[in-house]
Amino acid sequence: MAESSRADNRVLLLKLGVIACVMFAFAWALIPLYRVICEVTGINQLVKADAPAPAVAASDLAVTAAPVRLRFDATVQAGLPWQVRPLVGQMAAPRGEFVRVDYEITNASNREVTGQAVPRYLPAAAGNYVKKLECFCFRQQVFKPGETRRFPVVFVIDRAMPADIGEITLAYSVFDVPGQGAS
Amino acid sequence: MAISTTAGHAPHEHGKPTGLWRWLAATNHKDIGSMYLWFSFTMFLSGGVMALCIRAELFQPGLQFFQPELFNQLTTLHGLVMVFGAIMPAFTGLANWLLPLMIGAPDMAFARMNNWSFWLLPPAALLLLISFFVPGGAAAAGWTLYAPLATQMGMGMDLTIFAIHILGVSSIMGSINIIVTILNLRAPGMTMMKMPMFAWASLITAYLIIAVMPVLAGVVTMVLTDRHFGTHFFNAAGGGDPVMYQHIFWFFGHPEVYIMALPAFGIVSHIIPTFSRKPLFGYTSMVYATSSIAVLSFMVWAHHMFTTGMPATAQLFFMYATMLIAVPTGVKVFNWIGTMWQGAMSFETPMLFAVGFVCLFTVGGLSGVTLSVAAVDIQLQDTYYVVAHFHYVLVAGALFSLFAAIYYWFPKMTGKMYSEPLGKFHFWWSMIWFNVTFFPMHFLGLAGMPRRIPDYALQFTDFNRIASIGAFCFGLGQLIFLYNMLRSIRHGQAAPHKPWEGAETLEWQIPTPAPYHSFVEAPHVEAGDNGVIHSMTGGAHH
Ligand SMILES: [Cu+2]
Repeated sequence: MAESSRADNRVLLLKLGVIACVMFAFAWALIPLYRVICEVTGINQLVKADAPAPAVAASDLAVTAAPVRLRFDATVQAGLPWQVRPLVGQMAAPRGEFVRVDYEITNASNREVTGQAVPRYLPAAAGNYVKKLECFCFRQQVFKPGETRRFPVVFVIDRAMPADIGEITLAYSVFDVPGQGAS
Repeated sequence: MAISTTAGHAPHEHGKPTGLWRWLAATNHKDIGSMYLWFSFTMFLSGGVMALCIRAELFQPGLQFFQPELFNQLTTLHGLVMVFGAIMPAFTGLANWLLPLMIGAPDMAFARMNNWSFWLLPPAALLLLISFFVPGGAAAAGWTLYAPLATQMGMGMDLTIFAIHILGVSSIMGSINIIVTILNLRAPGMTMMKMPMFAWASLITAYLIIAVMPVLAGVVTMVLTDRHFGTHFFNAAGGGDPVMYQHIFWFFGHPEVYIMALPAFGIVSHIIPTFSRKPLFGYTSMVYATSSIAVLSFMVWAHHMFTTGMPATAQLFFMYATMLIAVPTGVKVFNWIGTMWQGAMSFETPMLFAVGFVCLFTVGGLSGVTLSVAAVDIQLQDTYYVVAHFHYVLVAGALFSLFAAIYYWFPKMTGKMYSEPLGKFHFWWSMIWFNVTFFPMHFLGLAGMPRRIPDYALQFTDFNRIASIGAFCFGLGQLIFLYNMLRSIRHGQAAPHKPWEGAETLEWQIPTPAPYHSFVEAPHVEAGDNGVIHSMTGGAHH
């Protein structure tokens, strides 16, 4: 009836609408928020929390002398123009020595693209013990249309790696860097 | 006290519109409430047909009727249709019908917006249902639409995402209407701490909806951009995290559980006092229990994710927080029992459903506490034990309370009495077959039968047979309800002004059936706890 209470209703409507919009934004904010919370609290460091790297015990020395089986892999997201392959699929490598493996990357599109490779280790715990000296994943790489290039990856497997890791898979995913390269 | 209409004049100045236009352009809260209720019953039947398809396939091991792809679509759509199409709109419909009567308001605060929030529902429901017929079929990722499954499926998933957007907008608008109506349109004398429990429950539910439906809308939008616009929110290979989907989804998903449960608590808090002929025991503690359940519901989401590899600290936190919810819920159960204690009880159909609710909801609550134990949950996650658990809270909880509400307020809504023998038959039939259907699922789950599978190992056959027989009988029994309603609307006996001796809230103070424009003048009331009216003056109707 009174205009004033009609205005009250409208004000409340607006406030509630704002809450709804803020909550919609909050859903998107959760993505960085979770990441920050996990980093700050270290709550998601399952591997580190559960299995701190043990010092090499004398009894392990015989085992650690055994070579580690290495597998190389690469994946490309559907829809991206890359072709990536390691020249050797797998090899055995002793700990504490330089290992070199070559990767061949082709830009299969007819435009210039910039790529960034992201390495991944299986088991994830092995990541701490693979010390890379040379890798195409260290920086972004620009490719001309149809260009193919070979990259060496050089690394050492740390002797401190626990003996129960007998096999490591090194897998790369290659992505487009948005906004880089002509399109 | 003000309500907005676009027609430029207050609604009491025109009569009852007629024909199709009355429904398309409806701004009257009773018309809109009725449409909500019929819509949700329609969705209940379609979701029920899907459930029966599922139970038919599970009657025996092996694949008889449906290929696994279609089976997964059926389980997914059964869940989505029942949650977003049947239960939530039914509670909104009841709130529309009853809130203005209970608090002495002339109508909902925003009548035109009320019309929009209803008419968004049918298109959304259509999107869900036609998605069965598009290439690739309907969404088949489960009602939770987990990534990365949800980022990979055919266009049925896109239709589902749009449907969820529309349903979200609808329920948010409905909730805003409910909140503004309750906060601004109460009759003089109807203070917050005298307000009936259904109004309290609707108010808190509406706040929950406004807080979490946008989060669901956000997360399905991320799925949409992952699918079509090259983002990698939930794609591990692209630097995203599929577990992140679960975190965001369940931030919505657990409060959603209470969006479907709190209004049921409200309804039961009306019916049990009425048929015990006693005031509600512990009204104030009921209000605080409801509020604290709502607050706690935001802190427990990860109890759905114990198997995702959470650190033990987080598992413990979510386990204890979840168990904590059992405290306010227990307060409510004991208050209902305290209300019944030494009451002059009678067992008309609404009371039967309300007491059935208290018994079976408690069973569902107990299996919920069992599941909250992280160590146990790791064994029971995604088994039929979970299916049994949430059907005890959603069917015997939310659905039974809805039946109770419809029987209870039917005389006030229609001016007719429903058939009491048919109502009682409906209750006992549902009560028996509900338990035949869902109780064996506890055993199946404990024995390790996973949910969402069309085929199963031979040792699960017997309990699945029992469950399937129960489901078909339960489903058929709901036609008794439909028949009772349709027959009673036309041929039912005229209902008295106050059909229930112990009903003391404001909606029973007005003529039967409720006048089309009730409380065009706000009444002055003297109210006690739980909206019990001691005296009322004024309050004109047309
Ligand atoms: Cu939950």
